[in-house]
This record gives sequence, structure tokens and C-alpha cells, in this order.
Amino acid sequence: MGRHVGIVGVGQTHHSRRRTDVSQAGLVREAVDRALADAKLTIEDIDSVVVASGPVLFAAVNQPEKWVVDAIGAALKPLVRVTSGGGTGLAGALAGYYQVAGGFADRVLVVAYDKLSEGALQYSISTLYDPFWGREFAVGIMGFSAAYWRARMDVLGHTEEAAAMVAVKNRHNAMNNPYAHVKKEVTVEDVMNSKPLAWPIKLLDVPPISDGAAAVVLSTEKLAAQSTDRPAWIHGMGYFCEADNAAARSLLVSEPLAIAARRVYRTAGITNPRRQFDVVEVQEPYTCFELSYYESLGLCAPGEAAELIRSGATSLSGDIPVNPSGGCAGANPIGAAGLIRLIEAAAQVMGKAAGNQIPNAKLALAQSGGGWANLRGVAVLGA
Amino acid sequence: MLPKPDTFPIDMAPLKSDLSMPYTLTPGRAAGAFLAELGQRRIVGSRFKKSGNVVVPAQDFCPLSGDSEFEFVEAPATGTLTTFTETAEGLIGLIRIDGSDVDFPHRLVDTSLDDLRIGMRVEAVWADGIDNSILAIAGFRSSPNAPVGMIRPLTDPAQAVEVIPYRLDLHYEHAFGPYYGRLFDEIKTQRRIMGVRTPDGEGALLPPREICDVTHRPTGTWVEVKQTGTVRAMSIINLEFVGQKQAPPYIYAEIMLDGALTRLIHTVSGFDMSRAKELVKPGTRVRAVWRETQTGSLDDISHFELIDADAK
Amino acid sequence: MRNSRNLNMDRVAVVASAQTELRPRWSGAQHVDLISAVVASVFKGTGLSIDDVDFVIDSGSDVLDGRSISNCGFLGAMGAHHKEESRVEEDGLWAALYGTTKIAAGGAQVGLIIAYSKPSESDVNLFYSSQCEPFYQRPVGFDHRAASGIQAQRYLAQHGRTPADLARITAKRWSDAARHGRVQIASLPGESDVLSSANVAAPLRALMMARPVDGAVAVLLASEEIARRTQRKPVWITGMGASTDRHSFAARKAGALEACEVAARSAYARAGWDKPGASIAEVSASSAVSELMVLESLGLAVPGRGMDLLNGSGNTAINLSGGALPADPIMATGLVRLSEAVRQLTCPDIYGLESPSSAIVHGAGGVGMQAHCVMTLEI
Repeated sequence: MGRHVGIVGVGQTHHSRRRTDVSQAGLVREAVDRALADAKLTIEDIDSVVVASGPVLFAAVNQPEKWVVDAIGAALKPLVRVTSGGGTGLAGALAGYYQVAGGFADRVLVVAYDKLSEGALQYSISTLYDPFWGREFAVGIMGFSAAYWRARMDVLGHTEEAAAMVAVKNRHNAMNNPYAHVKKEVTVEDVMNSKPLAWPIKLLDVPPISDGAAAVVLSTEKLAAQSTDRPAWIHGMGYFCEADNAAARSLLVSEPLAIAARRVYRTAGITNPRRQFDVVEVQEPYTCFELSYYESLGLCAPGEAAELIRSGATSLSGDIPVNPSGGCAGANPIGAAGLIRLIEAAAQVMGKAAGNQIPNAKLALAQSGGGWANLRGVAVLGA
Repeated sequence: MLPKPDTFPIDMAPLKSDLSMPYTLTPGRAAGAFLAELGQRRIVGSRFKKSGNVVVPAQDFCPLSGDSEFEFVEAPATGTLTTFTETAEGLIGLIRIDGSDVDFPHRLVDTSLDDLRIGMRVEAVWADGIDNSILAIAGFRSSPNAPVGMIRPLTDPAQAVEVIPYRLDLHYEHAFGPYYGRLFDEIKTQRRIMGVRTPDGEGALLPPREICDVTHRPTGTWVEVKQTGTVRAMSIINLEFVGQKQAPPYIYAEIMLDGALTRLIHTVSGFDMSRAKELVKPGTRVRAVWRETQTGSLDDISHFELIDADAK
Repeated sequence: MRNSRNLNMDRVAVVASAQTELRPRWSGAQHVDLISAVVASVFKGTGLSIDDVDFVIDSGSDVLDGRSISNCGFLGAMGAHHKEESRVEEDGLWAALYGTTKIAAGGAQVGLIIAYSKPSESDVNLFYSSQCEPFYQRPVGFDHRAASGIQAQRYLAQHGRTPADLARITAKRWSDAARHGRVQIASLPGESDVLSSANVAAPLRALMMARPVDGAVAVLLASEEIARRTQRKPVWITGMGASTDRHSFAARKAGALEACEVAARSAYARAGWDKPGASIAEVSASSAVSELMVLESLGLAVPGRGMDLLNGSGNTAINLSGGALPADPIMATGLVRLSEAVRQLTCPDIYGLESPSSAIVHGAGGVGMQAHCVMTLEI
């Protein structure tokens, strides 16, 4: 591989349901300022910028990187927008990673955001569907996600109770996350009794709708020391896809995620993910997905996810804590969510997690994705 | 260079698709104050602390330097035209308000293209009855004798506008192409659902397509799939949202028609929805029910009904 | 790439390209039909197949396509199933830049870059006006037409050029496009047609603006090891630069395309070029004036003298494809330029070129050409 790449600065906004004090561009600036300050740098030190945000129909501004460039203060630098649905934050980081690894830039700023309070979320996500083929039945991706969860219940035993435990765990973890805005613990009964929205998905299986932004500074090994003596090194990163209506697409185990994990684990030398990783951050748009990810990421075998959450292994005190930040349950500015997972994983191995630091975390896994559950990426970070 | 001729030339008028997306946009501190102050017929700018640049209309971030620390100033309603053009939107010029370090675009009113000169003095023309929009200034008109105004500190700034309603209206005319063309023509005229065979000839891809998604090899011949199928995945929709096309509660279903290898997205109904969980599951057998109308879309299928009548 | 040899980075080559005819309206085809056609064609003669492709980077627009995350619905047509895929939403050339960094880093051997547009299904004016921030610029009607008109007004005034000059370059580009045959042209406009076409953005006439067209293009990138096995003379990507100017059009340097200058300088420096002495240039443009400004910003002519290039001054063959004026497939225009430059380097006879050895490829995006990307190719 090319040059070694480290995360040397991270920043995110205090996410909230609605920010009426800043524009989309202002939100971006907040995260950028924090990441640059964390890396002890200014925008002048940055060679290139990657902007990632969710689908443009979320926010009424087409190609919004061309607007927010002024707020970033990045005029005349290389600046590009990378999109990949809900996983766009991680996809953007991957593009930045290759700019550094491939010698195009020594330091890249990656910033991701969404200001979901400004648009009609389910309406705009529903336009993911082919206008000829099923769009009139679309409920964002909630109807679709719930439908395949229902299918996984029968085949893999991903019960409503097991998913409820994901909500309980992540909301508990979010209590300690200063950037999360949903701060309310729930019980399994609360989740089970919450209002069905797209059954089996119920209100408390669903993350909040958030305004938020996140940014990271990626650096060559040579320049990393100027920012920190403890970067989070990227041992591997990949982002794979699956044709949305391909024959034989099972949707029971996420094949693109399994492929991404397999490839990245090979690069990073991971042979036993459950044992090797100290901490995992996953982007769970609905609780049911976290169960599915356990299996696709190899934290347990297919069909064992319900038992894994029930055992407490993925809780803060378990042997493989998943989402100590609270994941999307605490805040979900969709376009930023993948980058937030990367930031939380990086902060863990840098020893500076804002909320629930896992003691001596040395190796972290971050997962992200979007679309029809068919865009899936992972990153492995090490101290 | 489409390699294949249309296998079944169809002259289908394009599918019209309209999206009308509502928004509530937040202008931020600077633009929010600028828009609020237009109600008092005051023009607000930003003076950036580090560079000293004055930017009118007010911006949160200096477009010249990227600075973010600023104080509000009140700018005059007079300035100079630095350049102009005319488009279908009207006469548009770049205006430099007296004392500003940058221009901004606005409309030119009460004038014509031939009367415009670079460097001419202009003044704002106020519009009545327009709130929270830069169009509270209708535009700028020639004002040869307008004295050069001054930038002053802004006294008693109004509360910034926090949210502005907005709408994007998008109109599309989507081509059917050879594959969707035949698919929907057959649905319309024959009430047949046609797929294409996979490259191996095993089963049908639906909707039909030129290449196989998995192998990227050309697909095979057309084949009719059955109008019966199996529910592969389902959910019960109670959520209501802006832009929704069906009235909840309804079932979102992904159905594999017999003979097809891929999904058709539709709804299953014809029973008491309170029994939906027990009646409709992955594996449930269903059959298409057609409407009287023939539009050449999936909407020609009203819904899917349960095949096992006893289940009702 | 930055000091690529010192860093021991992999060299990256373009080993093949394919494009559809560029038409005002591909009414008989869907996006997937155009995309799958170019993907199926791009492997011809390379010995490679879709199975050899490690990743796909694509360019397209949700706003033009009328669907969110539109790449998501086109993955099968793109041949991306179970491969790495990302979208870079610009004009295709930035997608190629991404692909190049990925191969240079050793992260992959073969990358497929795809760009497509069907603006005929949508509203191009809205595509651009919706890029303008919604509080100050959009409500007053400032858009790509106004930006182009203002650029033209300034350029003509500053350099003593006339609309007749713009008609001349426009007519030349259309006739080149007709000669090289990859653009559908119903009737070839002469200079008088250009001058009498509708006013669009004074002083620009309709035919002086880039014409939106439908089409798709695919380019295959490969590492040195693969390239040497597939091509007798691989086309190497030796330099890349990109730059995005301010959103605030009025705050950009008046009468210049500063971002284009920055992108070019950066690409030439990486290529080790001290001047832009390429055999070929394929450049993008939003209007006849912006094409002249691009040529000048790339250093091919001094400011104000871009028209001289039409008289055969300089040693660079410029836009033999016709460039973007007769055919601008918006989200694919930059990748079409790359594809055209590669075709001219590898099949010089078609274009009457004598052993060309290098090319400058230029892409752009945004209102008033806010963003620019430049690549240098050598054979």
C-alpha cells in the first residue's frame, strides 16, 4: 500500500433536533473549526478538502460543497464532494484516505454534515425508489428495512426483544456522550410498547432526526507528529456495494458488508474480530440493523446476534463493546453519521473519547452504510 | 452505440414525475439579521475583525478571507454597478454598495440593457409587502446623483430570522427505454408481466433489463412471469409523512412473482388490517388484482390478494 | 502525483475508454441503457473484463436524474455489484482523480470510472440555480446564465473582443464535433446562425452557451503492471490538480478563472512540466467566452489572446472533439474530455495528428465554472 495515513484531529458539533442559529454552511464551519483545533492546525495547513453530505433533496441545495467552501475557508483548494447515501461520511473519509495514501495531498480535511430539520426526510428518501418501480409504496427506507427485519426474524431469530435491547444499550451509552441530543434511557418494555411506525419497526427503534456536522484531519505519517503523538492509524478501509435488485440478493446477511469486512480485515491482519477489536462503532439507522451487523462483521455467527446482545457482550462492560457513543440512537445527522462513527472509533484508540472511553482501547472497528442497505463500508483503526 | 436494437419498439410518452419538496431553511446569524432588518428598510453588512473587510449583504464568513469573527454594520442603500447581463430572469447586475469590499448580484429595475453603464450610480428600490426575503429590495435603479453613502455601526439590530419556508419544484420526463417500454406496454395492453431471462436462462429478471446485474452479461429472451407470487418481506405502515402516496395503515410488501428472481414492490390487502401480522408473512402466497383502468404502470395492479381464501 | 517517483507510488494509466454518441435527447434509452452500453464496450481489446475491475467511481446527479442516491439504482448497469463504489458528483474528471489516487496508493489495480447525464429528462436551469445559496443569490435570479453573461461582458470589454469572435470559435467547435462524429448534430450552425440565435445572457447568444446533451462515458484506469500487459503504449496520468473557487461569484477575481490557473499550475508541477507544452488539449466550457478564459488560464495563450489559437498559433491541438460547446453532458463532460484526449493520443490518424505525446485535460463544474480539475497525460 501507499503511504501510511493517520487521523490526527477530530471534531463534531453538539447535535440537535433543530439548529435555528446556524445555516448549513455555519454548521459545517463549527465542525471544521473543532477538528482543526484538535489537530493544532489552521485551514492553511490543509492541502485538500472532501465534503460529504446526504442526498441533496434533504436540504434544497444542489452540489452544496460549492456553497460551503466559503464557510470552510477553503477557496482555491482542491475540494470535492463524495456521496454514498447514508454512509457518505465514511465514503468521504475513504476518498480522503486515498488522497493521502496516493500522494495527492499530505493533509486532507474531511467534513460531513446534514441539517435534516430543513427538509421532508421520508419524502426525500422515498425518491431513492425507481419512479417506475415501487416509489408509490416507499416509506423512506423504513418500510423496506422493516420488511427485511421481519424476514430475518424467521430465519435468524432477530426478535423484537433483541432489537429493543439494542435501543436500551445505545440510549444508555448516549447518556454520557456530550454531543448526543437524545438523552433518555428506555427499557425493553418501553421499546416494545412504543408506537409502531413500520412494524416491526417501532418509534423507539428509530434514531432521532438531527442537525449536525463532523470533521477529521487525515495526515501522512511524517506530518502527524505536528498534531498529536497519538494518531489513530488507518489499518484498512473499504466501501462495497450490491446491485439493489440483483437476482439472489438475500438481504438476510448483508453481503456487501461481509465482503467489506473480509477485505479490510485481511489488509489489517484481523483474523478473529470478536477477540481482536477492543471497541466497535456501527451506524444503525434502525435497531434491527445493529443485530445484522454483528453477524456480517463476524462478531458472531449468523443467527447468534440476538444471543450476543442478550449476553451483554456488546455493552460497555462486555468483551466487545458496540457503540459506546450511543450510535445513531443519540444523534443522527445522516450524512455525517458515518464520519461520526469513524471519529468515535478514532477517539477511542487516541484515548480521548468524549463519553465512554473503553480502557486501553488499541484496535477499533467502524462501520457505516446507506442506500437500500446495499452500500456498506468498514474501517479498522489502531493506536 | 446502444448495442441492441429495440427488441419491441414502443412509442411510449415519457413518464412524468413531479417532486414538490417543502423546506424550512435557516439563514444563520448574518443572513438572518440582514433579512430581518430589511423590514426596517435597513441594509446590514458584516465587518470582519481580522481583515477589516466589509461585506454587504452580511455574511457569516468572509468570502475573501474565510474569517468568521465579525460585527454588524449598517450600509447605505446606494452603490455602483460593476457589471451586468440580461437573462430570462431579467436584468441582473453586480452591485457594490458604498463602503463594501465585495459586490453582490441583484436585479436592475426601471431601466433597459441599453441604458446600463459600468460604474453607474444606483440605489435600492424597496418593495412593499415582502418579508424575510432579499426581494424586499425589488432591485437597484439608476441614480446618477446619489451621494456616496457611509458604513455605520448597526444600532438596535432586529432579531435574526431563524427559519424561511422554501419549496423546490422538480419536474421530470423519464424515458421508458426498450425494456421498461415493453414491460409497461404489455402491462397496459395485455395485462401480462414480462421479465427477461438471466444469461443462464434460469428464471426471469423483473423489471427486465439489458444486462444481468451480477455478471454484467447480456440478459436473455423475454419471458412472462406469473401473476402469483410469494411475499419475501413485509412491514405494516402506520407512519404518516409529507409526500406519502398511500393512506396508512397498509402493507409494504416485496413480492417474488412465480418465475421471477427479483422483487416487485407493492401492497397486500383485502382483509382486516388488524389481522395483518398473522395473515401476511414472508412466504405468504399472493395474487395480483388488476384495476379497471389501464395506465401502463404498476398502478394498474390495485393490490395483491391472499391466495388462500380461508385465511381471510 | 506529488513526487510520485520519489514516493515509490504506482503509476496509473488510462487503458481504455468508451462513450455513447452525445445527443440532445436519448429518448429511446434510460440511464441504465446508456451506462450499461459503455461499460460493456470499454473492455474491448484490453483483455480485461468486468471481473478484473476492483472498484467503480461514478459521476451523476440526483437532481438531474430525479432520484435520490441515484447511483444506488444504477449499480448493476455500472458493473459495480459486490465491488467498491463511490460517487463523486462533478463532471467525471474528479471521479477519475479519485480513481487515480486509489491505484497510486496500491489499493487497487483496475478501476472503472463512469459518468453519465440525461439532462433532457430534467431542467438544466434549475440544476444550476439550485446550486446557488438560497438566501441572496437564488431569489434574485442569479444563476449559471447570469454568471456566464457577466464573464462575457467583462471579457469582451477588457480585451476588445466582439460577439463575432465568439461566433467564430463556436462555429469552429461545432464543425469539429461534426467531423469527428461522436456528437449528434441535426444542422451545423454557421457564424451568422450563432450571432442570430436567441439572447440568453447578454452578450451571449444561445449557441454561444454549452449545449446540454445526454450521454455516458466509461474510462478504465489501471496500475502500471496491468497497463503494460494491456496496451502497447499506455497513456499515463502524470499530473493532476484541482481547485474550487469561492461560492460568492462576486468575490472571485474579476475577469479571470483563478481556480483554473491554480489547478493547472498544480497539475503541471506534479508532471514536472515547466510550461504547458502539450500536443493536445481537451477543455470544458460553459460558454464560448469561458472556453477562451480556460485556454488562457491553462497557459495556452496569454490573457485576452485565446482567439489567436484558432489561427493555428501554438503547437497544441485544441478541442478537436469540438469540446463542450456543441456537447455538454454536464455530469460527464470532464470524463468525455479525458476519453477524447486518450483517443487522440492513441489513434492520432483519425484526427490528422502526428505522433502526439502529451495532453492537457480540463474539467469544470458549478455556476460560473467555480471548480476546475486539470490532468496531464503522457504516452
